[in-house]
Amino acid sequence: MATADSGTGRDWAVAGGPTVLALALGVFPLAVLFVESIGPGLGTENYARAVSPLYRGALSYSIGVGVAVTVVCLAIAYPVTFWLAHRCPARYRLAGLVALTLPLWLNYVVLNYAWVWILARGGIVNRLLVGTGLLAEPLDLLYTQVSTGIGFVYIYLPYVILTMYVSMERLDYRLLEAARDLGATNWRVFRDIVVPQTLPGAAAATLVVYARIAGAYATPEILGSPGNVMIARLVVDAFQGYANYGFAAALSFVFLCLVLAGFVVGAAFPRVRRELRGW
Amino acid sequence: MSALTVDGLSKSFGDETAVSDVSLTLEGGEFFSLIGPSGCGKTTTLRMLGGLSSPDSGTVRLDGRDVTALPARQRATNMVFQDLVLFPHMTVAENIGYGLARSGVTGPERAQQVTEVLSLVGLKGFESRDPNSLSGGQQQRVALARALVNDPAVLLLDEPLASLDRALREEMQSEFRRIQRNSGTTFLYVTHDQESAMSMSDRIGVMRDGEVVDRGAPRRLYNQPRTRFVAEFLGDATVLTGTVRERGAGTVVVETGAGDVTAEQLDRDPTVGEQATVAVRPETVRLDGGSITGEVIDTAYKGFYAEATVACGGAELVVRRERQATLPDGGEPGTGPLFSVGETVTLSVERAVVVANGDG
Ligand SMILES: Nc1ncnc2c1ncn2[C@@H]1O[C@H](COP(=O)(O)OP(=O)(O)O)[C@@H](O)[C@H]1O
Ligand SMILES: [Mg+2]
Repeated sequence: MATADSGTGRDWAVAGGPTVLALALGVFPLAVLFVESIGPGLGTENYARAVSPLYRGALSYSIGVGVAVTVVCLAIAYPVTFWLAHRCPARYRLAGLVALTLPLWLNYVVLNYAWVWILARGGIVNRLLVGTGLLAEPLDLLYTQVSTGIGFVYIYLPYVILTMYVSMERLDYRLLEAARDLGATNWRVFRDIVVPQTLPGAAAATLVVYARIAGAYATPEILGSPGNVMIARLVVDAFQGYANYGFAAALSFVFLCLVLAGFVVGAAFPRVRRELRGW
Repeated sequence: MSALTVDGLSKSFGDETAVSDVSLTLEGGEFFSLIGPSGCGKTTTLRMLGGLSSPDSGTVRLDGRDVTALPARQRATNMVFQDLVLFPHMTVAENIGYGLARSGVTGPERAQQVTEVLSLVGLKGFESRDPNSLSGGQQQRVALARALVNDPAVLLLDEPLASLDRALREEMQSEFRRIQRNSGTTFLYVTHDQESAMSMSDRIGVMRDGEVVDRGAPRRLYNQPRTRFVAEFLGDATVLTGTVRERGAGTVVVETGAGDVTAEQLDRDPTVGEQATVAVRPETVRLDGGSITGEVIDTAYKGFYAEATVACGGAELVVRRERQATLPDGGEPGTGPLFSVGETVTLSVERAVVVANGDG
């Protein structure tokens, strides 16, 4: 068919340019980075150093933080988005969603510093605790794993909520009633209906935030303890501190492989795979 | 003891009353239909019986036990939903076994019961199928099996056949009736389709604006409707109004716009000179040169019979004429009009009943 042919030709022309641009933007810097990491003489010494025990600790700690914060965000987002999509009166829904995702529109460095003011020894939390007599001495909340965790959850929760909300809204409430009618307790309804039906949303949310948390720079810098070094800090040090671009690139690639490995492990669960295929 | 006793059930949404003082009694093994036009409160009633929504007042008893305060999962009722709502991420067997699993029936025993109910609903060997890949009628059967397998005291069905085409709906109706007989389960079937309710049910309750206005066996409701609403909703009764002229033994003669009509008075007792409303079924109007003369104003072809609307002195009557296998002149059946607009016909009303007019 002539029309189909010319249509296909036009489709190629329309999609071709942007596709090439997207590939160039996505792949080209990675290719440069990779060449740098094995240079100058096709060596592997940069990689050998990147997986040495010193860096291995920071890599696994970063991945661990990524997983833990993602899990906490999901644990909070599930009930919140369920309530918003199925319990909250329709006229307050949009306002609720906007309020919960407000931090998305603020600069994230500022968001981190907000928690410095809140958690410092002379900050709001400590003044409240000491002022009400609950504590005699202010707590050291800032520059700990607790403050880092709070900062991470605060910054990434809105993304998780937004992504999960789309899934929750699509969840057919009548399925929950059918399960209850067949004798399911609230916990069984959650396990047997809500989770399987919203798994695409949870998977999407994980894709969006997990790697960004594991590779985050600002939050651990501003809120974290110097003893818990995350991988982004080491990459920055290699680039700026001692201008070892090859090593910085190798470290980035090792990190990328670990992140991808995390997704592969996730996709190994048949149910997750089935949900991902459904997209 | 009755399987289900409902007493004074009411529910409002805001200032709109959805269900008002509904009382019902269902005997064990009975097929009871609740019928009424869209929006009359059928679904709301059913949801309160199943525990998915709580009444403002009234009580629900199952096998004599007050369950009004119990949530759905603790009630011995199961629901077949209007849109089925099968669990899309589970196989047919997982869907059907879900209720059994929740009540603690384990592996092999559960598989056994699922297999049995699948063969009862005519889906032998469908255990591992994906419900999304089944036809409408098959999904219907799965939805029925999923509820039926739990052996509920009362099975609640909310217009489960409304979305099917006519042929499939009729097939499923007789299937439902067969399955109900074989399983001995008490069915409470909700529909706005009076025809299917009449063909399936042991008894029918007619709802209007949140109230049950009449109940009884299909024949009783059809032949002796107590109200104008029931007469018109069940079948195509024509309603005439007039003045009572004479009283006989259990009958009255009502002078209507169309002429004098003799009507059974049932449980009403109108006195001479009073206004009365009578309901007339088309099949009891005879085209026999009787005392009523009228002019055909509309005709409809209905297959094996033809129908005419006849204007007779300010009133309208509907009359039917059956097509015969062979016509007296030896012509083809189904050729030529049986009625034509403008034609004058003479009629008599063979049977009519006095009904309550107005909202009752
Ligand atoms: N959740 C609800 N909120 C507000 N009004 C409702 C709700 N459910 C039903 N209604 C109203 O109650 C009346 C009865 O509805 P329903 O029981 O669904 O009727 P039916 O099933 O007979 O069509 C309708 O007027 C409907 O608008
Ligand atoms: Mg309904």
